[in-house]
Amino acid sequence: MTRITLGGAVLRGTVSTALVVSLSASALGAPPVDLSKWSPEYVRSIAGTQDFDTAADCGKVTPLDYKGRLTFWYQGVFEGDPDLLRQYYKEFFETFRKTYPNIQLEEQALTYNDLLDKFRTALLGNAAPMAVRLQILGGTEFAAKGYLQPLKPEDVGYSTEDFWPGAMKAVTWDGVTYGIPTNNETMAFIWNADVFKRAGLDPDKAPATWDDVVKYSKQIHDKLGISGYGLVARKNAGNTPYRFMPQLWAYGGGVFDEATANPTYKEVELNSPQSKAALQASYDMYVRDKSVPVSALTNQQADNQPLFLAGQLGMMVSHPSDYNVMLDLQKKATGTDKDKAQTVIDNMRYGLIPTGPDGKRAVVFGGSNIHILKPEYVEGGKVDEPAAKAIICMWTSPEWSLKMAYAGSNPGNLNGFKTKWMKERLDSIKFLDVTTSMLPYGIPFPALPQSPEIMNIIVPDMLQNALTGAMTVDQAADDAAEKVKSLVEGKL
Amino acid sequence: MTIVTGTAEARRRLQSARSGVLRRVWEHRADYAYVLPAIAVMLIVIAYPIYYTIELSFFKTPPGLQLRDKIYVGFDNYTNILTSPVFWKVTWNTMIWTLASTFISFVLGFGSALALHRDFIGRGVLRAILIIPWVISAVAASYIWKWIYHSDFGVIGAVLVGLGWADRPPNFIDNVTTVLPSLIVVNIWREFPFAMIMMMAGLQTVPEQLLSAAKVDGASAWQRFWHVTFPHLSSVSTVTILLLAVANFNSFIIPWIMTGGGPSNASHIWITHIYELAFGRQLWGVASAYSVLLFLILMTLGYFYVRALSGNERKEGSA
Repeated sequence: MTRITLGGAVLRGTVSTALVVSLSASALGAPPVDLSKWSPEYVRSIAGTQDFDTAADCGKVTPLDYKGRLTFWYQGVFEGDPDLLRQYYKEFFETFRKTYPNIQLEEQALTYNDLLDKFRTALLGNAAPMAVRLQILGGTEFAAKGYLQPLKPEDVGYSTEDFWPGAMKAVTWDGVTYGIPTNNETMAFIWNADVFKRAGLDPDKAPATWDDVVKYSKQIHDKLGISGYGLVARKNAGNTPYRFMPQLWAYGGGVFDEATANPTYKEVELNSPQSKAALQASYDMYVRDKSVPVSALTNQQADNQPLFLAGQLGMMVSHPSDYNVMLDLQKKATGTDKDKAQTVIDNMRYGLIPTGPDGKRAVVFGGSNIHILKPEYVEGGKVDEPAAKAIICMWTSPEWSLKMAYAGSNPGNLNGFKTKWMKERLDSIKFLDVTTSMLPYGIPFPALPQSPEIMNIIVPDMLQNALTGAMTVDQAADDAAEKVKSLVEGKL
Repeated sequence: MTIVTGTAEARRRLQSARSGVLRRVWEHRADYAYVLPAIAVMLIVIAYPIYYTIELSFFKTPPGLQLRDKIYVGFDNYTNILTSPVFWKVTWNTMIWTLASTFISFVLGFGSALALHRDFIGRGVLRAILIIPWVISAVAASYIWKWIYHSDFGVIGAVLVGLGWADRPPNFIDNVTTVLPSLIVVNIWREFPFAMIMMMAGLQTVPEQLLSAAKVDGASAWQRFWHVTFPHLSSVSTVTILLLAVANFNSFIIPWIMTGGGPSNASHIWITHIYELAFGRQLWGVASAYSVLLFLILMTLGYFYVRALSGNERKEGSA
């Protein structure tokens, strides 16, 4: 089995990025940073090299003395986020109110798992907010349905090239751009070096392949009696596709051909031998080896965090923010638990997400986008466009797109990587360079209106059907493929 | 001589009846005016949604289209539902959930009411404690029970493992076999106090002199209960059971928060499934068809509920 070092992985990432960029750059022009040089070293070299005046830039889009009213919903922080992020969200809205004192802002934060349901319901009653920040998965659905106004970075003073090409794909429907990315994220692989050592594994090396993850998970469980890998298979929770899709793609599978350079989304591949192999790996960990948390079917990542901190979990896939979450949780611990938690934090290691058997490495290219609604779907039938553009300009600015992603992901606006806050962030957020190194391996979810159902319902259902024994691995994959096919063909 | 045919006589009676109804309506016009606002509100908030749900149940709503662009499919949604194995699984779950929750909650509630009907020290405190599950938020209770049941570090599992009674924590909610019974236990815990309160109120109405007379006649405790107390509680029992059944048919919070209907649809009941179809999968037409079917079932239950209430009123009127 091929073992790939961090350096080698970064090299591969660089090559694949160059390919992606060469495909997109010809059409889009030059981005503000050189994506072909992407590496932890390059990111460090550009950090802190440029200053931006957000208020002055946004004042050119919407005058700072503009008087108006804005209703705004956004996917906000949730229980699994660190306190640091809460602080930045608070600061953002305070700064916006100071910068635009005459805009009456009525904002509402919703959690990832609730936002889509509530937003859909509001749209049916023509009671949506004027602007909304949605998860990356949602943009295409609402654009396809005609709820969103065309909106491109140029409308708020930026350039399309200032944003990741993959992120722009997620806000484009039928050739028209309907939103602007606020942040983009790729996760990494986290392990507890102490657990590895006690289980007889190399404490400084992440498993190279997903097959290794299965082996390591069993070894940890058999030797220490704790869970090896933090599998997540809850339905209707964003955490599940974010952790299973990298595995599916690494084995060479996919829902469609979304992992290829130019996806067509024509053929369903969820029941291909490669996809089944990925599902089999989860089955082996949950059913055969019983080496993952039993609660994986009802859990989300927020439930894995305390398990990991308690030293009861050896490995998981997550954001760089999990390090800060662990610090927050450790502060709240009492007595001897505090010391135990500190030991886990000291032994926390980050690495690239493992590859498949053929050396393919993949991660979900996640994030969020911001959109403006059409007036007919908004409460009161009016949209205050200048006010909406003011908040969008601010959130997607180099400064705030970085600060609002401080601990958890990366700025949607590539200029954010050049700011002084990025430099500060690289020094203070541990392991950030690892998760940033995963960006070139990022694969966006299929840009289809059916994606939310596929990712939030059909894929988790497939996992649950296989892991509970309700179906065999083959049956579960075939069943899921059939459901996706029916969905995209409009049979349902 | 006038010959009156049967048809003419029937028509005359009908006209007379109509004019009688109209006359009575006119005579009570002020009463109707008083209830008119309430009727108008009901038409807006109840009748229109029911009509719209029925209408929507004949349409398909693909995820790429807005609701206004829905496609007419006739009875296809109903056919698809009734031929879907998931429908029958969910219906079976709903039946088990409703019958088990209703029956056991009622029996436990009745038993508690009988126990608390006697005078003893600490009765008030015990009564207050038993009511707690009913008054706390269902959402909070669901989260607490989720942690109690947690398959890796739940309280029950920790106690059992700590006492050496189990090697590893039992799997309550991550197992297709045990998940529904586990949720039913939570539901019973939450709603048996309601049955207890209803039955305690009912017990207050049992005439003390009848019980004393039966005792004087040599009736045993069981005979006094079976022949005196129980018949007096039949009406309140019927109402309590019907209210519990309707509430259980409409349950959402506990299964949705604790398991989201999973794993593998094993704890989906009708309402959670309808929610997922509508809001998770945007199959508004299919969800509406499900709702229409559920509406018919609940209307039937409602009919029996109203009949039971009317029976009570008649009995009280004749007493």
